[in-house]
Amino acid sequence: MAALTAIAVPQTVSVGMGQITVGGPPTRLGAVLGSCLGVALYHRRLRLGALSHVVLPDSSGREAPPGKFADTAIPHMVEILSRQGASTGGLVAKIAGGACMFGATGPMQIGLANAEAVRRELKTLRIPILAEDIGGTKGRRIIFDCESGTLTVEIAGCRPKVL
Amino acid sequence: MTSTCVTEDPKLAVLHQLFASATHDASAAMCQWTDGLITLTLDEVRELPLAEATHELDLGDQLLTMVVLSLEGDIGGEMILTFDEENGRQLVASLLGRPVGSDPEWSDLEKSALTETGNILGCAYMNAITRLINHELVPTAPYFIQDYGASVLQQALMVQAMTSDHVLVCRTGFHRAGEELNWRVLFVPTAALREAMERALHRRA
Repeated sequence: MAALTAIAVPQTVSVGMGQITVGGPPTRLGAVLGSCLGVALYHRRLRLGALSHVVLPDSSGREAPPGKFADTAIPHMVEILSRQGASTGGLVAKIAGGACMFGATGPMQIGLANAEAVRRELKTLRIPILAEDIGGTKGRRIIFDCESGTLTVEIAGCRPKVL
Repeated sequence: MTSTCVTEDPKLAVLHQLFASATHDASAAMCQWTDGLITLTLDEVRELPLAEATHELDLGDQLLTMVVLSLEGDIGGEMILTFDEENGRQLVASLLGRPVGSDPEWSDLEKSALTETGNILGCAYMNAITRLINHELVPTAPYFIQDYGASVLQQALMVQAMTSDHVLVCRTGFHRAGEELNWRVLFVPTAALREAMERALHRRA
């Protein structure tokens, strides 16, 4: 009988609202987004990535889990990654989400404000955005592959996009 | 309609009383709308960390058919009626007296039947809460949406998330002839509505 080789099947770790998760190969990090923003930072040489599920644009100095707000999430991600040897200069970003879920007349149009805040923070830290999929009125399911650095974006009824 | 309160938190227990009463009214309205087929039960009134909300409410990454009603103003909130595709289709078929549709696209008539269901349930809840807090709640027109349940809940939680890292959610289940259906109503009040409800219940006690 031929010997069987065990193949590790990558698990997708779910990143909840306001959370930040770091992973290396073969980890995949996933989130379901509405108006929230998924921010994936990736260090190519180390093949190390982090995904944050940003809920709101601005903490205004309020105590909260750092992943909840754009202005605290991104510096915190950079800090966690740097502790694992990933310098800020080697990081690239991909972002997705920021939908206006209940249409233009809905009660809260926070999605685009989240996107703007995230772009601003990344610019301040000089982290280039390689790709983004932002806005619209539909939710997104994203999977960030910490091995390849790809961010797969699924919108209901559409073909998945690989950023 | 039956309801059992299992929470030990006195504030949540008080809110449970209120939502049980509102669910009773909504159940009566739903029973009338469906010719006695469908009743509701209050499953839980729960406060949970924001990060765990979609996972704990078992919305995950499923695609759902939903009707959303928003209550405008500070004393407001969001009500989301959720169905999986099969159950949504079955409800609409029974309301319209037709076989279950097979076209992947929902027709305008089917959407209308479902949004009307949301409207009836929403108004029953709103009326019960309005009577209690003595403050008029103004719902928007119901909104038909097919999307990831977690994405929609996320938007509904946004107002609470601005002021707290925990969120309050009321969850109601549906039954047909004693059998549980995969439909849910999620009600997410703003912090101001929650406070108004707590104050009103204390006054009444």
